[in-house]
Amino acid sequence: MDAFFQGLANIAEPQVSMALVIGAIGGLVIGAIPGIGPAIAIAILLPATVFLDDLVSLVLLLGVYGSSMYGGAIPAILINTPGTPVNALTTYDGHAMTQRGEATRALSLAYSASFFGGSFSILVALGSLILFGPYLRDLGALFGQRDIFMAALLGAVLLIVAHRRTMVIATLLFSFGFMIALVGRQSLKRIDRYTFDVEYLYAGFNLIVVIVGIFAISQALKLMTGKDEDPPAAHVDRKLFRGLGELRRFKVVAFLSACYGTVMGIIPGVGEFVAQFFSYATARGLSKDPNRFGHGSPEGLIASETANNAVPASAMIPLLALGVPGEALTAMMMVVFFDAGVKPGPDIFEKSADFLFSLFIALLLINVIVVIFLMASTKWIAKLVHVPNKFLGGVILVLSFVGVFSIRNSFADCLFAAAFGFLGLIFRRLDWPLVPLVLGLVLGSIMVERLTAGASQILRLADLVNRPVSGLLAVVIVVVIVFALGSTVWQRFRNV
Amino acid sequence: MANTTSGPETPADGTPYIFFVTDGAFEPVVTEVPPERKFNSADLFAFRRVRGDIVLSILMLAMALFLIASFAGETGWAKRKLPADMGQYIGIQLGLLDAEGRVARLGTILKQGWFAPMMCLVVMLPSAALNLAASWRATRRWKRQQMPPRWQYEVGQWARALEFIGYFALYTFAVPVLGYLLSTMILLPFLTFRLGYRSWYWLRVSGLVAFAIVLLFRTALQIKTPVNIWLYNQLPDAVGIFMKTWF
Repeated sequence: MDAFFQGLANIAEPQVSMALVIGAIGGLVIGAIPGIGPAIAIAILLPATVFLDDLVSLVLLLGVYGSSMYGGAIPAILINTPGTPVNALTTYDGHAMTQRGEATRALSLAYSASFFGGSFSILVALGSLILFGPYLRDLGALFGQRDIFMAALLGAVLLIVAHRRTMVIATLLFSFGFMIALVGRQSLKRIDRYTFDVEYLYAGFNLIVVIVGIFAISQALKLMTGKDEDPPAAHVDRKLFRGLGELRRFKVVAFLSACYGTVMGIIPGVGEFVAQFFSYATARGLSKDPNRFGHGSPEGLIASETANNAVPASAMIPLLALGVPGEALTAMMMVVFFDAGVKPGPDIFEKSADFLFSLFIALLLINVIVVIFLMASTKWIAKLVHVPNKFLGGVILVLSFVGVFSIRNSFADCLFAAAFGFLGLIFRRLDWPLVPLVLGLVLGSIMVERLTAGASQILRLADLVNRPVSGLLAVVIVVVIVFALGSTVWQRFRNV
Repeated sequence: MANTTSGPETPADGTPYIFFVTDGAFEPVVTEVPPERKFNSADLFAFRRVRGDIVLSILMLAMALFLIASFAGETGWAKRKLPADMGQYIGIQLGLLDAEGRVARLGTILKQGWFAPMMCLVVMLPSAALNLAASWRATRRWKRQQMPPRWQYEVGQWARALEFIGYFALYTFAVPVLGYLLSTMILLPFLTFRLGYRSWYWLRVSGLVAFAIVLLFRTALQIKTPVNIWLYNQLPDAVGIFMKTWF
């Protein structure tokens, strides 16, 4: 419990508190503007975090991560355009309710469902830390280099399998990202990998340069070369507290969706989409009126919003406990750890338990701040959906420069970021997923690092999987691959 | 469906009109049937290959082939340390053969510089080939259905973005000459103008946003931007130092 109170004291530091409020409100505003989204905001903010304290940086990024989905629900409900990609399912029922003249009810339900989902998973994580924290220290001894290598490999496999319709493209982009991570000079042996004698490439591609290019500059280019939309104005009144009470009518749906979000968030590579899919399908199965789903069902809206907001807190668990990010946003947060020289992993509870508590307490406070802020300001935030896309593109492009240049004062970085931005634009236009590329970059580095560090203990191939954890993970990997291939073949067979 | 049997006027003989001619304001009949929108789990993972997909698929395969072609010279393959009889070694590793004498440690192979790129290429090449095959099938299907894939149009759209990359590159080179403040105050209003917002309102907004960005990142957060700026060097010392410090 000492660590808990120390964590609380860390949050009370003025700089951390300020980062908490700025991150929460900033994330909310960013989420409410279709076209930006948390990935772009975090990509732009990453370089700024280099100059900030570790906890301040992470709390700022967590604020954006944790609150953007609240904001993303606003345009999804009011104008049928999801503010962030994970709010896509919210449009099904949320916008249908708006068309029925129930915009305020839909927003209010979305906020309360999001708050419930977010708080549920944070409390589960905090409770687990308090209850099982002392045992986690012992668990750390079970995780060696090979075990973490296998965990990263499992993350990669799950990520690819989760891209059901684009598995081949996800595999291709994951390996492409992995290859980008490999470029550079191996410091110990002075072996150059794909540097082609270009001096810039000796140091390898900077992770932030690639992330800003692929996420931020590509989106800026897409917005600037696209068309502006002029969404109709929607009326929102002030009765937003009503949903808090109404949520109790659908407590089973809310509870199950929060459980799905929490569990799916923990599994690397799975994330919000799969959590929403399961919770929506379950809610529909349990509903007395399943035909209403997709036509303005409050249960559908609750299932979607609860599940996606339950994910951020639990997605931090594999990142912190294993050092394995499960999706793009946590992969970006990994950069903060790299910069700080902190290695998240099984021994993090022993070394910095108060730091862990600080992060989860911060997430809980972010949820509270956001809901209070939304209840008071939805009417004004709703106006942000009318900011023209092309103008936003210009702003993102300008912001990207300062983000990239500040890393190491390199103009070459800016030009390479622009090149990655162009590539990202092509991927975006063709609807190729960007997440596998970024996770390939991050997980690829982790896999190589862990395999190299554990190489001295590997005499034979079997040594990779002869430890309890690595063996179990290897079995899971095989089961997942067999299941995914079997499912694909079965689908083909059924369609013939 | 529009209702054609009732309207502002009914003819004396009772024959229904198809079109009504009215002297007053005519309110068009709006359909009230909502679009069919049933939940389909596949929608969450929906993906459809679009025009231009074939071009990127070809480029990705070409890149994989290029990486393979340069593998020997660019990964430390020339300095590899491998057992003399690789066939036997693989057999031993897979447990198919019994080891005789001392066996080379697998770990020494895994940590060699070429190993990770090779594993990467082992995954990358087949996936690039499979992806191209899928893209090719989609293109052929469009052709059969007489739907021109028009990849040229899509490539043209990609090329349009090069204009903005050009502005970004110019901005990158302008910052050490004009400074972060002035370059940003020129670029954002220019982009706003170029993108079609040509009223004074938008130019003012873009100027204010540009100034706010500089204030936030350079003045408040003191994020590094170029320091040796030509324009600031031309200013009196005190002003130059002030500008270098804050803008």
